[in-house]
Order: sequence, then C-alpha cells, then structure tokens
Amino acid sequence: MATQPASLVTEGTQHPVRTLVLGLGNPLVSDDSVGLRVVQELRAELAAYSDVEVDEEYCGGLRLMERLVGYDRAILIDAICAGHAPGTVRVFSPETATTRHSASAHDVSLVVALALGCQAGAALPRREAIRLVTIEAADVETFGEECTPAVADSVGRAADIVRELLATWRSGP
Amino acid sequence: MTTQRISIDPITRLEGHGKIDIFLDPAGNVAETFLQIPELRGFERFCVGRPAEDMPNLTNRICGVCPEAHHMASTKALDALFHVDPPPTAKKLRELFYCIFYATDHTTHFYALGGPDFVMGPDAPKEQRNILGVIQKVGMEIAGKVLKMRRDGHHLIEMIGGRKVHPNWGLPGGVSRGINEEQRCEIEARGREAIEFARFSLQLFNDIVLGNPAYVELVTSDAYTHRTYNMGTVDAQNRVNFYDGLIRVVGPNGREHAKYPARDYREYIAEHVEPWSYLKFPFLKKIGWKGFVDGEDSGLYKATPLSRLNAADGMATPLAQQEYERMYDTLGGKPVHHTLATHWARLVELLHATERWVELAVDPEITGKEYRALPTHRPDEGVGSVEAPRGTLTHHYWTDERGILTRVNLIVGTTNNYAPIQLSIKKAAQGLIREGVVVTEGLLNKVEMAFRAYDPCFGCATHYLPGQMPLTIRIRAADGQVLREISRAAP
Repeated sequence: MATQPASLVTEGTQHPVRTLVLGLGNPLVSDDSVGLRVVQELRAELAAYSDVEVDEEYCGGLRLMERLVGYDRAILIDAICAGHAPGTVRVFSPETATTRHSASAHDVSLVVALALGCQAGAALPRREAIRLVTIEAADVETFGEECTPAVADSVGRAADIVRELLATWRSGP
Repeated sequence: MTTQRISIDPITRLEGHGKIDIFLDPAGNVAETFLQIPELRGFERFCVGRPAEDMPNLTNRICGVCPEAHHMASTKALDALFHVDPPPTAKKLRELFYCIFYATDHTTHFYALGGPDFVMGPDAPKEQRNILGVIQKVGMEIAGKVLKMRRDGHHLIEMIGGRKVHPNWGLPGGVSRGINEEQRCEIEARGREAIEFARFSLQLFNDIVLGNPAYVELVTSDAYTHRTYNMGTVDAQNRVNFYDGLIRVVGPNGREHAKYPARDYREYIAEHVEPWSYLKFPFLKKIGWKGFVDGEDSGLYKATPLSRLNAADGMATPLAQQEYERMYDTLGGKPVHHTLATHWARLVELLHATERWVELAVDPEITGKEYRALPTHRPDEGVGSVEAPRGTLTHHYWTDERGILTRVNLIVGTTNNYAPIQLSIKKAAQGLIREGVVVTEGLLNKVEMAFRAYDPCFGCATHYLPGQMPLTIRIRAADGQVLREISRAAP
C-alpha cells in the first residue's frame, strides 16, 4: 500500500486546512525574481504535504487575490524596496507592508482586492492567515536572470522562515 | 527664481510607480510639471543572442499587465521575420484570443482604475476612491459581475493560449493548437454574456457620469482638452481593429495625416529626448517636435481608446457602432479631444471586443484544423504590431540567417502617450492650481485623473532599445536655457 502523504491537517477540523505557498516576481528582472527562487528551493520538500501547494505568480492586485481563492492560509514571498540592507528578510501581514507585487498598483492593492473578494463571497484566507515574507532587493530595474549577491544569499534564510511559519501553523490551534 | 515643489508620489493605482513634480513660481502658479519614470534597463542585451522564436514567451514577461499584447505583437513580428503568412483559421483564433483579453483588461481598468474617479467623484476621500467605493455606491452585484467577467476571460485565455497568464501559443505562421467544437460553444456562450456585461457597463457610465452635469462639465473642461494627432489601427474600411490592419493617424481637425503598414513605422515616428527623462518621447516625424504643446503644428500624437475611435471612421460591430455615434453626438462630433472621454471610448471598445469575440466564435473557420503554415524562408528582419489596450504596440526584430537575434526595438503602448501625458498633467495642473488655492486631495487627484485616463503602464515603457531612431538631445541649465543641442539622424 502506498504511504499516505503527510498532512498539515489541524486536529479536530472537519476538512484539511489548505495552505498556499506562493512566490511572486518577474523571473527576468534580477532581484524581482527572488520570491520565485525561494519557492523553487522549497518545492521538492513541500511536495510531501498533501495540503500544501507551492506555486509561482507574477501578479498583484485582483489577480493575486483571485489566486488565493480556495485556500485557508497563504504565505506570499516577494521582493520589497523598503530601504533596508539588501537581502534583509522580514515577515508582515498584508496590511502592514506593500511589496513589489502585493502593491501592484495597476488595479488595486492586495488589501483592497481581498476586501472585494470577501464582499463578492469568494472563499479567501482570513487576513490573519496571510503572511508576506519579504526580501529587500538591491536591483529591480535591470533585466537579468540572476539576483545580486546579497539577495541570492538570502534565499535560504527566507525559505527557513517559510518553514517556521508552516511549523507554527501546524502546531497551533 | 525660487520655486515650490509639490510631489504626488506614488501615483496611486498605477503600475510602475511614476512620479509627478509640479513646480510653482513665487506667485503660486504652475511653472512646470514633470512625470518621471523609473528606468528598466538592459532588455536588448537580454534578448540579443537568443533565438527569435523565444520572443513571444520572453516579451510576455516584460510586463505583468498586458502579457497577451506583447505575446501577440511578438508573434506577428515572427510572421514577418520568417516571411510566413498564417492561414485564416490562425488569424481568426489570434484575434478571438485578443478580443477576450481586451474585454478582460478594459473591464479591470474601468472598474478598478478609472471608474472610481467618476463613480465616487474626484473629491471623494482617497480611501473611498477605489473599487470598494464603487460597489458601495452601485451595489454588491457589481462585484460579482466584474469578478465573473475576469474569471471567464482568464479561463478562456488559458483554454486557447495554453497557460493562464503567459500564453505560449503563438508561433511564426500560426498557433500551436486550435479549438474543438465543445470549446467553441463555451467561448460563444461566455461571449454572449460578456456583451451583456459591456452593455451594462455603458449604461452605468450613462447613468452616473452623463447623468451628472458636473461630471460632463469636468470631462469637457479646457483643463482636460488637448488638440493632438490621434493614432489607431484600422481595417480595410477604416474601422477599429485591435489585432491587424494599417496604422492610421488623423490630425487635430480629424483629417487623415498618414496611413501605413506597421513595418514602415520609422518613416512616420521619431523620438525626442529630454535630459530629465529616461523614457523618450515619440512624435510624428513629418510634423516635427515642437515641445510639449498641442495643435496642428506639433507632432504630438495620442494612442489611446479615444484615439483609436478618432482615427477610425467607425466600429466594425453593430452595437459598438451605435455607442460610437452616441458618444460623438453627445460630445459635439469628431474628433473628440477631451482626455477624460477616453474612459467612455474604452467602454465602447469593451463592447466592440465582446461583439467581435462572438462573431469570431461563430465563424465556421474558427474550429479549422489548418492553424499553422510552416516557415520556409530565411529570417532577417520583421515588425509586428497590435493595438495594446494602452496604445499601438510595435515589436521589431533583426536576426542572423539562423534566426538568432541581433537587434530588438519595441515601442510599447504607453510610450506613444508619454508626451501627451506630460501635456495633460501640466494643463490639468495649470487649470486646477492657481494663486492662493489650497492644494486639497481632490485637487491633486484631478491632476492624477488627467494621467489615469491614458491607462498608463510604465512597467514596460522603458524597455525599448535606445538609439534606433533620430534623436534630438537638449541639455538645459536650471533656468531652462538650452546649453547644448545634440542631434542624430535616423540610422
């Protein structure tokens, strides 16, 4: 008999808690791709969990909100330009930071998009179940398929933070 | 002379986070305005040395807003590069795909980006001037309608184009796969619903904007009016077409200035450089650069939904034609030069896109099996062009005999409008900021409104290659005096 994949099911709930780990970025624009690199590092190990999905997206605003439909929790990993040292990794809620893609201003911010989705009855994660893992970028203006060194070095740290968030959720209520 | 600077940063609801600086003179009047755009560098270097066939899949990642437009312009550039004419089914499938994209994109702009200014009013608090405010005012059902329209559009784009975001479907000479009857039925059904959504949107605009004399006055006010040239792609009957045709330019008086195939663009378009901007300013070569001024003698042109309607003699679909006539009747005939009427024109185009979507979905050839012609000629140079939602989009590639890229040039939709946007910002600022007038949020938003009407997307506007067109560079002292002028002829 095949081994059942491990699960992040919270004990006592009626259905699996579905978690999306989503890297955001443009793979062709230097440090803007860092969120994608983090999920690429995590993809193989998280495949062991049946209730965790790992994916990559380029988008923000309405499209990002639409991507979150159907999940109970989400971790979004993205580059940020907040004036810190390149490679600095931090964790925010969507309300307290705007990253390269959560702030995609062509339509609306992620916060407004989430509110719209909720009003329209979409099955979205609760706000407190969404985390933004941000990596401070040095260069988001040059085409290239490599990150700058400090940002490239931060990929492992950002991946560790995603692992810790998942572990906290796994053990929490 | 000392000046006081007012900054609007970032421009809310805009891709790429541009920045507007308004310089006031000591009397408190607008002296000068600048929109500056962060530069994205190295696109040509990134592309050169790669096979040209990679371009539809590379360029659709330039920009997160209109990947489908880049994919289609790039695919058409490959047709030209490899000297291959796609079969009718392929052309129709591409246009169908493109109309679905258009309908989805225009929906998002109207409801999320441009509409809130009108529905909520330009003086409404910033927190309310967004799609949530629109829903609160118009009703909850609108949220579901907008999201359904987007969901249907994305679903069909994925069904036809192979991937939900970045299509990988266009090939030189056609497309990689066709559609079956079951898929055709679904496309037609969703398209019929989309037509109703477009009609609903026009009715909403009619009730809320046209029904409010204050808004009509704002739309037609001098602060938002510029008499520039207009550019758009037209079919053989001079009707609007998003996918293919000839580029037509009409003057401020509505008379045809030029009509040409996209491959000849360098005979008609040149670029001007200002020392304060990374992005260059395209202008009509035969008219010439006269600065940031409008009128017959200034080579400034616009390439927007309103420009496309101005540049055409009509719409190719019946309901959109009715709305086209109604718009021009209401606004006093063609051409219309009121920037804010671009929002109305965008809705007329939305209706056109949905009607054309259904026309193509019921075309007997749309499920044909001949959707690709194989290239047999040696590649050398090719230009492809479509009407992106934000203006005429041109891709130009040069390769060696193996099809490896040696040069790349893009003129993206928003770039066409960079100079008129500067003009709009300055004029709006001059009309709205006068001596002694306190700068309120609503006032600054009205300046931004001049900008937003163009649906600008500078995320990709800075990616094109420097040095392909004749340039004039002026280096100015702080007081505006020209210290040096450097000119370079066309290559």
